[in-house]
Amino acid sequence: MKRRSFLQLLLSALGITTLASLLYPLVRYLVPPGTAEKARTLVIAKRDIPLGYAKEIVFNDVPAVVVNRPGKGLIALSRVCTHLGCLVHYDKENRQLLCPCHAGTFDLDGHVISGPPPKPLPVLPLRVDGENIVIG
Amino acid sequence: MWDRVRNWLDVRIGINDLVEEEVRAYRVPKNINIFYTLGVVTIAGYLIQVITGILLLIYYVPHPDHAFQSVQGIMNKVPFGWLFRQMHVMGSNLLIGVVFAHMLTVFLMGNYKRPRELTWIVGALLLFVSVAFGFSGYLLPWTQLSYWATTVATAIPTAVPYMGDLVANVLRGGESVTGATLSRFFAFHISILPPIFLMLLGLHLFLTKRIGISGTPFGLSAEEKRPWTEYHKKNHPDGYPYYPRFFQKDLFMVMVYLAVMFFLITFAPNLFFPGDATMPADPYRTPASIRPEWYLLAPYQMLKIIPNKFLGVIIQVALFVLFLFWPFFDTEKEKNIMKRPFLRGMFLAAFALWVILMFWGRS
Repeated sequence: MKRRSFLQLLLSALGITTLASLLYPLVRYLVPPGTAEKARTLVIAKRDIPLGYAKEIVFNDVPAVVVNRPGKGLIALSRVCTHLGCLVHYDKENRQLLCPCHAGTFDLDGHVISGPPPKPLPVLPLRVDGENIVIG
Repeated sequence: MWDRVRNWLDVRIGINDLVEEEVRAYRVPKNINIFYTLGVVTIAGYLIQVITGILLLIYYVPHPDHAFQSVQGIMNKVPFGWLFRQMHVMGSNLLIGVVFAHMLTVFLMGNYKRPRELTWIVGALLLFVSVAFGFSGYLLPWTQLSYWATTVATAIPTAVPYMGDLVANVLRGGESVTGATLSRFFAFHISILPPIFLMLLGLHLFLTKRIGISGTPFGLSAEEKRPWTEYHKKNHPDGYPYYPRFFQKDLFMVMVYLAVMFFLITFAPNLFFPGDATMPADPYRTPASIRPEWYLLAPYQMLKIIPNKFLGVIIQVALFVLFLFWPFFDTEKEKNIMKRPFLRGMFLAAFALWVILMFWGRS
């Protein structure tokens, strides 16, 4: 190999190494770091949610709603619409959850009734412990 | 005194030759029309955005706890703060309108054709950067409208399988719109977009200067008949000198731009400030109606009516690619749109659809 070719090869290798050494940290820098350990549970009083009513909560920074469904019991659902991230609210009259942005509607199990949401609302773990409702 | 300064500069940077060659001897074609001033109006508009943006930076605090209050302070406490913010907001909307008009007139006159394909592509990228400026600046006042419009817009990439969630997370700096998003958008608005914009603008002006102004709005001109491999600058030796003749026209249109801006600031100050744009952001309450700025209403409404989110995104990406590389899709030699009924029909249909979607999205 000629000296000039060797130098060109060396220059290319150094260039690629330098570029890769900069690109990798850049990508890692732009991807947000993981968040700190979140609260494991949230406790609310059962009497706060009479039958047919709902209570909006924030669980691990996620806006959620606990609904006391007639005949079906309590359920905790994320309020973040699966379409484009707006917050759904409980429509007591029609017993459904409604997204104000693009009119997506969900039933009280979180399933999509109508509109553009592609999937159901995530269900959060919930259990009843005496007079309390424990989320998480 | 002025002659001495001029001579001093001439010895050092050759300013006399520069002015003579680039301004006085620079000739523009005789059949040039008023629409050719829109490029200069756009540059003037950007200059206003830069100056007012720097002034706003003095008082603006990019933190979720202070952003809204700092903007309220600019509007209500800082002397003439309202004026500079209004100029910035009104200017951003007007500017995008002027860039749209610039591209529209270039399209209608067929001036994107060979050898100006790259000038069109860079122009389209400049329009894209202008919209990115508007989009990133929209969040900064941290209002209900800006917060939720950003929530919706940054959720759009999630429609793309595999990479979508990562892209949305990188845009937001997390899983939802938070202070991290505000920091990112602020950095994007004031320090990432400006150098990209300046590079593209430099390239756009370089190409315009190198290839020369297309003096024949309609019909096939000499440079378009020439083979791809030859370069020949289009000069206009029988044209008008740029200075003072066309320069005055440029200046007149810049004054029209300023007049419209100040008219709107005086008589329609709330044109771009609907109710939710004056309420502080509440991450736990989505307002009843969310809508982006007027120039994003059509794509927003399109996403709304297409039932499949992924399909909606794919259609929008395809339309953007078509727009960006249009000079390569349109291979017809005829420039005059009046002699091309199919293209004219397609254009009118697309334009009508865009207007309908815009008003539908607003309702």
